[in-house]
Amino acid sequence: MTLSYRPGDSLAHRLDPRTKLAFQVAFAVAAFAHTTPKGLLALSGVAGVVLASSDVSAREALVEYRFVFPFLLAGPLLSAAALGPPWIRWQAGFDSLLASYRVVLVLFVSAAYLRTTPVRDSRAAIQHLVPGKAGQLLGTGVGFVFRFLPVLQADLRRIRDASSARLGDQRGLIDRMKLVSISGLSRALSRADRFALALRARCFSWNPTLPPLSFSRADVPVIVGSVGLLLWAII
Amino acid sequence: MSTDTASVELVGEETAENVARAALLAALTGAFAYVSFPNPLSPAPVSLQVLGVFLAGILLGAVWGGVSMALYLVTGAVGAPVFAGGSAGVGALLGPTGGYLWSYPVAAFAIGAIVHGGVRLRNRVPRGIPRLVGAMAVGTVVIYAFGVVGMSLVLGMTLQKAFVAGAAAFIPAEAFKMAAAIGVVRSDQITAE
Repeated sequence: MTLSYRPGDSLAHRLDPRTKLAFQVAFAVAAFAHTTPKGLLALSGVAGVVLASSDVSAREALVEYRFVFPFLLAGPLLSAAALGPPWIRWQAGFDSLLASYRVVLVLFVSAAYLRTTPVRDSRAAIQHLVPGKAGQLLGTGVGFVFRFLPVLQADLRRIRDASSARLGDQRGLIDRMKLVSISGLSRALSRADRFALALRARCFSWNPTLPPLSFSRADVPVIVGSVGLLLWAII
Repeated sequence: MSTDTASVELVGEETAENVARAALLAALTGAFAYVSFPNPLSPAPVSLQVLGVFLAGILLGAVWGGVSMALYLVTGAVGAPVFAGGSAGVGALLGPTGGYLWSYPVAAFAIGAIVHGGVRLRNRVPRGIPRLVGAMAVGTVVIYAFGVVGMSLVLGMTLQKAFVAGAAAFIPAEAFKMAAAIGVVRSDQITAE
């Protein structure tokens, strides 16, 4: 993970998280609606502005999502290949290449969100956007997952280290998977039990205090831009 | 939002326990995304993510299994590095492998419903092998159906080609994960009730 929240004073840092979420969705809708050379050229410009206004370099964003590149390359190659004459279908390959490129643009915008939005704000945005108990459940749950992810990762790392110190890595695949997951799961479950007890002891309630979220003047152009992108996608 | 002190509504005991378990299983699924083993059958390594989906459905039942996987998706979308290869963000949900991710809550729900014979959670997790295998097979079909359709939409490919690019190399490994999940559920160390 190379991209996570970093404090800063860029334009994107000052925006409300709800505005940024809305913009991401609008951008993706526009990219899927206008997968043409012209449309993607325009959206590349938009993505460039987004990266520049959030202090993320394109390289960082690409490294973050390196995992999807095999699929993005396989798409056009497989689409272009045909099992009979004429063997290579340029048009299908080109269409799929445009589709792959639009994914890269969507990933850029998503990287900008990750860099400029703290978890607390995202959680508050979820609770503002999803009404009622469902939203509170999602909001608190997201906080818990963030809290426990590094703990469980460390658990699994220790289990794997201990297992390989005892030549566990020479056993069969199923045995190894079982070993890691039985110990990992039993630790996770006992952590869950202790955590539930701790929550009850601290009066875990449906009405927590959230960080204040408010729209500012900086949000206006971004909201207008999101609406514009959506309109462009529909027309 | 201001602090609300007038009417504090406590979360019920059972719900608190279920929320804690759902969150922990979501986190475990995220941690499993980092654990990969060399695959004897294909060059693509096996990661344990899908095992997390199986276990969430089997241990938490349909409703809370589904909630757990929804938490996993939302947490990843807002920035926790829980998706394959430690990636995160809304972009991962809209990328070529996004279809697989969207399927997780549905698959966990289906697995839970089949294993527990309905949406209500049974007191003890059923251990019959045919039922567990059947449930996980249905879950796997759901995951790959969403995954292949998602990939064909995102990359503009035909369904057959999306299957070749995104599913064919990974499906055999699912059998290993099912075997491991059965071993986990039937193991004496796991006492989820």
